[in-house]
Amino acid sequence: MSTVVFARHAMTAAERLRDAGWVAFVGFILGVPLIGLTTVDVGGRLAVNTRFGLLAATVAAVFAGRLLLRWGLDQARERKQARSAAGAPASADERAQGAQKVVTVLGWIALGAAVALPIFYSDNRYVVDTATTVLIYVMLGWGLNVVVGLAGLLDLGYVAFYAVGAYSYALLSTQYGWSFWEALPVSGALAAGFGILLGYPILRLRGDYLAIVTLGFGEIIRVILVNWTEFSGGPNGISSIPRPSFFGLDFARSAPEGEQTFAGFFGLDFSPMHRLIFLYYLILVLALLTHAFVSRLRKLPVGRAWEALREDEIACRAMGMNTTNIKLSAFAIGAMLGGFAGVFFAARQGFISPESFTFAESAIILAIVVLGGMGSQMGVVLAATLLVLIPEFGRNFAEYRMLLFGAAMVLIMIWKPGGLLSHREPTVRLNPLGRAGAAREAAR
Amino acid sequence: MAYALQQLINGLTLGAMYGLIAIGYTMVYGIIGMINFAHGDIFMVSAFIAVTAFTLLAAADVTSIPLALSFVLIVAIFFTSAYGWAVERTAYRPLRGSTRLAPLISAIGMSIFLQNTVQLTQGARVKPIPPVLEGGLVLWDTPAFAVQISWSQMLIIVTTVTLMVAFTWMITQTPFGRQQRSCEQDRTMAALLGVNVDRTISLTFMLGAALAAVAGVMVTVYYGVVDFFIGFLVGIKAFTAAVLGGIGSLPGAMLGGLLIGLIESFWAAYLWAEYKDVATFGILCLVLMLRPSGLLGRPEVEKV
Amino acid sequence: MKKQTLLAAALLALGGFSGAALADLTVAIAGPMTGQYASAGDQIRKGAEMAIADINARGGVLGQKLKLEVGDDACDPKQAVSVANTMVNKGIVYMHGHWCSSSTIPASDVYADADILVATVSTNPQVTERGLPNVFRIMGRDDQQGLVAGGYIADNFKDRKVAVVDDKSAYGKGLADEMAKAMSDKGLKPSLRESITAGERDYSSLIAKFKQAGVDVMAFGGYHTEVALILRQAQAAGLQLTVMGGDTMTNAELVTAAGPAADNVLFTFSPDARKNPDAAPVVEKFRAAKVEPEGYVLYAYAAMQLFEQVATAANSTKYADLEKAMRGGNFKTVIGDLAFGPKGDLNVPGFVVYRWQGGQYDYVK
Repeated sequence: MSTVVFARHAMTAAERLRDAGWVAFVGFILGVPLIGLTTVDVGGRLAVNTRFGLLAATVAAVFAGRLLLRWGLDQARERKQARSAAGAPASADERAQGAQKVVTVLGWIALGAAVALPIFYSDNRYVVDTATTVLIYVMLGWGLNVVVGLAGLLDLGYVAFYAVGAYSYALLSTQYGWSFWEALPVSGALAAGFGILLGYPILRLRGDYLAIVTLGFGEIIRVILVNWTEFSGGPNGISSIPRPSFFGLDFARSAPEGEQTFAGFFGLDFSPMHRLIFLYYLILVLALLTHAFVSRLRKLPVGRAWEALREDEIACRAMGMNTTNIKLSAFAIGAMLGGFAGVFFAARQGFISPESFTFAESAIILAIVVLGGMGSQMGVVLAATLLVLIPEFGRNFAEYRMLLFGAAMVLIMIWKPGGLLSHREPTVRLNPLGRAGAAREAAR
Repeated sequence: MAYALQQLINGLTLGAMYGLIAIGYTMVYGIIGMINFAHGDIFMVSAFIAVTAFTLLAAADVTSIPLALSFVLIVAIFFTSAYGWAVERTAYRPLRGSTRLAPLISAIGMSIFLQNTVQLTQGARVKPIPPVLEGGLVLWDTPAFAVQISWSQMLIIVTTVTLMVAFTWMITQTPFGRQQRSCEQDRTMAALLGVNVDRTISLTFMLGAALAAVAGVMVTVYYGVVDFFIGFLVGIKAFTAAVLGGIGSLPGAMLGGLLIGLIESFWAAYLWAEYKDVATFGILCLVLMLRPSGLLGRPEVEKV
Repeated sequence: MKKQTLLAAALLALGGFSGAALADLTVAIAGPMTGQYASAGDQIRKGAEMAIADINARGGVLGQKLKLEVGDDACDPKQAVSVANTMVNKGIVYMHGHWCSSSTIPASDVYADADILVATVSTNPQVTERGLPNVFRIMGRDDQQGLVAGGYIADNFKDRKVAVVDDKSAYGKGLADEMAKAMSDKGLKPSLRESITAGERDYSSLIAKFKQAGVDVMAFGGYHTEVALILRQAQAAGLQLTVMGGDTMTNAELVTAAGPAADNVLFTFSPDARKNPDAAPVVEKFRAAKVEPEGYVLYAYAAMQLFEQVATAANSTKYADLEKAMRGGNFKTVIGDLAFGPKGDLNVPGFVVYRWQGGQYDYVK
C-alpha cells in the first residue's frame, strides 16, 4: 500500500513536463530561504542579500535533473522488463548462489590487492595511510557487524569500546611501559568487560530504547574522558604514545645503546615509510584475524544463536534459549573487536583525544555496517572503502566534500535499501537446495 | 531559595524547548517507527529562516514586536514544513517497508547533508540578530539574589503550553488526529479503511517540522545567535527526552523535555556542570531499567 | 559486475593520488578552512597568499618561485593527520599550521617523520614540549598567555569576584588552568571554577550561578562564539559581566554576535603587529586589497617571510640546513624579530592585554 505504483503506460511529454515542473516548484520553495536569501555581516550588523540568479539556476537545474532522472528510470525499467520477458528467469536461489560466488571471488581479489598495495605505493605515504584508515574502519565494521548485523542489536555507542581500547593502550604504554603486544589482549579484554558491564543491565530493553541507551553510554564515556584530567589527560588527550615495534626492533632513525633499529637490522636505509608499511600490514593481519574469528563464530552454536535471535526473539525464548547470555556474548565480542581496533588506532596516531570518539564516529561505523548490507562481511569492506574514500576524493571539492558525503549516504540507501551486498541468508541451512546444495555446504 | 527558583525558571524554559522538538521525534517514531535523525537539523534550518526574516523586518523598519513575531513564525512554519515534507518524500518514503535500519542511515546522511547545505549557502559564521525582546519581570527581589523571568522566557513557556493544548486537542478530537492514530496502530488496516496513509505520514512530518520551526524561532529570539551546528546537540537531547517520556507518547515527550531541562539546570546549579550530560544519560538509563518503555510509554505487547 | 567496477574504480582512485610534480618550491598552510572556526582559516589563507605573491615578486627564494598548498583539517585531529600525509606527498618543504592545538599535535608527528619544518601559531604547551626538532612556534604559549591574563585580573580586579571557566577544549582548558594558577599566585582565589560544553546554547544556569556567587568577572578559556552567547545572556539577566579571554577573542565575529556587550571583553594577544612601524607598508597593502590584517593574517604573512629568510640564511632547502638556520638566526618579520629557544618556542613572546571598544580592539590603557 505504501509502495509507489508507477503508471503502466509510458508518460507523455506533457506529463513529464508537468512532473518536472512540480518538482522544480518544490525546489523553488525550498530554495527561497536558503539559496535565494542570505544574510551577510555588514559592519557588525546583518543585512539580507538576494541571490535570485543562483536560485533561478538551481530551479532550472532541478527541472532538468528531474526530467533526466524520470527518463533514465523509465529506460531502466523498460530494459528490465524486456530482459525478464526474453530470458528464462533464474531462480532466486541460483541467483543468490551466483552472487555469492562473485562476492567470494571479489574477496580474494580485494585481499590480493590489499597485500600488494604497499609494494606498488612504497613511497606514497598518503595512499598507504589512507588504506590503513580504511582497514581500521573495516575492522570496526566487522566488530559492529557482530552486534548489529548478526545479533540484530542496534548499537549507537560503539565508539565507546573503541575509546576504551585506545585509552587503555595509551595509558598502559605511557604510564607502565607496556608494549603493544602486551597491551593488545589486555585492552581487548577491558573493552569486552565494559561491553558486559553495559550490556548486563540494558539488554532487556528492546529496539530503539537500546539504541538511545548505547548512545548515552558512548557520550558518558566521552564526557568522562574529557573531564577526568588526572586519568585521561582531559581534552589534551595523551600524546607520545609508543609505536609498535617489529619483534623488538624499533622504526627509528637511531636506536638507543644496545638495541637495533629495523632498518639497521635488515641493512636498509632508514625510511619513515617502513613504519607506515609495517602498520599497514599489522592492521591487515588484525583485520584478517577478525574476519576468520567472526566467520568461525558464525558457524558455531553461539553464532547461529545470534542469527536466530535477530530473526525472531520470541521464538528463541520459546525454544528455551537464554537470550540475555546470547546478547551479552555478542555485545562483549563486538566490544572486544572494537577495543582491538582502538589499540591499533592509538598506536598508529601516537596521539588520542576525546575528539576522536564522538557520536559522529559511531554513526559512520554504523553506516558502514548498514550500507554494506547487514551481516555481510564483504559488504563492510566495500562500504568502509567508499565512506573513507568519498571524503578523501572530495578534498578536490573542498567545501562540497561533506555535502557529497551526506548525499551519497542517502542515495546509496535509496538505491539499495538492504545495503550494497544485501542478500541475507543464514550462515547454515538445513539442506534447502537439494543434494547439490548439501554437497556444496559440506565442501565449504 | 531564590536561586533555586531562578534555576527552575531557566530549566523550564530549556525544557519547553526540548519538549517542542521532542514532539517531532515522537510523532514520527509513533507513525513509522524510525528515529528521524535529521529532525534536529530541520530545527536548525528554521532558526536560519527566522534570522533572515528578522533581518528583513529590521530592514523594513517594522517595530511592532507582536507583528514581527507573528510574521516570522508564519514564514518559518511555512518553509520549515516544506523542508519536513521534502525530507520525508526524498529520503524516507522510498525506504518504507525495507529494514528498520535503512531509514536510520538515510536520516543520518540527510542530517549531514542539511548541515552542509546551510553551511555552504549561509556561511559558517555565527548569525546574530539584535535582541528582539528585552527586559523582563523581577519576580522576587531578595537582597542576595533577584529572581528574574525575561519576556522571551515567558514567551517560550506560554507558546509551548498553548501548542501542547492545541496539539492534544488535534490528535484526540479531529479527523486528522484519528487518522494519525489509526496509522500508528496498523497502517495496512488504516489503508483498507480508506485512510490515505501517505498523506497522513507526510502531514505528520510537516507538523513535526512546524513545531521544530516554532522552537527555531524561539531559540533565535531567546539566544539571538544561530549557527549551522545548533541542530546536533539539541537534537540528541530532544531525542533523549522523547525516549525518556516514552517514545510515541505526546505528553511523554513534553514531560521528558521538561525533566531533561530541569535536570540539566539543577545539576549545573548545584553539582558539577561538566558532568551534566552524564547525569542526563545516567538518569535515562535508570528510568529505562525500571520502566523499559519510558515514563508514559505503553508497554509493548508481544504478539506471536 | 557493478561491484567489480566499483572496486576497480576505488583502486584506480588510490592510484590517482600518486605522483606529485615538483617544479617550484612548495610551502603549505593548514587550518580550519571549513567548519566552526573557518574564519581563522580564512585569515591564515589571506595572509599567506599575500606573502607568497610578495616573495615571488621579489624573485622567490633562492631563485625558485614559491607555490602554496592549502590544507583543510576543520580542526579535527584525524583529518589533520590525513592532511599532513597529503602535504608530505606533495613534497612541501615548509608548513605553517595547523591552527588548533589538537590538530597540530598529531600532524606534527607526521611532519617530523618526513623531515618537514613546521612553524605554528598553536598555543598549547604540548606542541613544543614533546621535543620534536622540527616544530617551531611563532606565537606565545598558553602558560605565558595565562600568566599575563591571570596577572592582569589579580592586579586590576582585586576586590571583585572572579569565575574561571573553560570550554573543555585542549586550548581552552590549558589557558583557563594557567589563568587560575597565575591569579592564585598573586593572591586572588577564583570564586568559581566551571566548565561549559562548546556548541551548547543555554548558559542561563551558569549565569544564575555567577549571580548567586556575586561574580562579575569571568576568566574564560575557549573560543569567541561561547563568549558572545554568555555575554548576551548575562546582559538579559541583568548581569554586567567583564570577560578576560585569550587570543581567539581577536575574531571580529565576537562583536557582531555579542553586540555592544563586547566592550566588556578583555583579552591577551601578542603586541599588535599592525602597530609595528616596520609592518606599515604590508598593512597598507592588505588594506588596499580590502583585507583587514587582523588576528592571524599578519602571522601567516610573517611565517612565509620567516621561511624566506631561513632558506636564504641556510642557502639550502634541505631540512637539516633549514633547521640549523632556524635555531641559529634572528629573523625580522612583520610581527617583529623572531628568535627561537631550544624547544622551538619564541625567546621573547610578549603578550599584551587588549580591550574591544566600539568594534575595534586596542591596548588597555
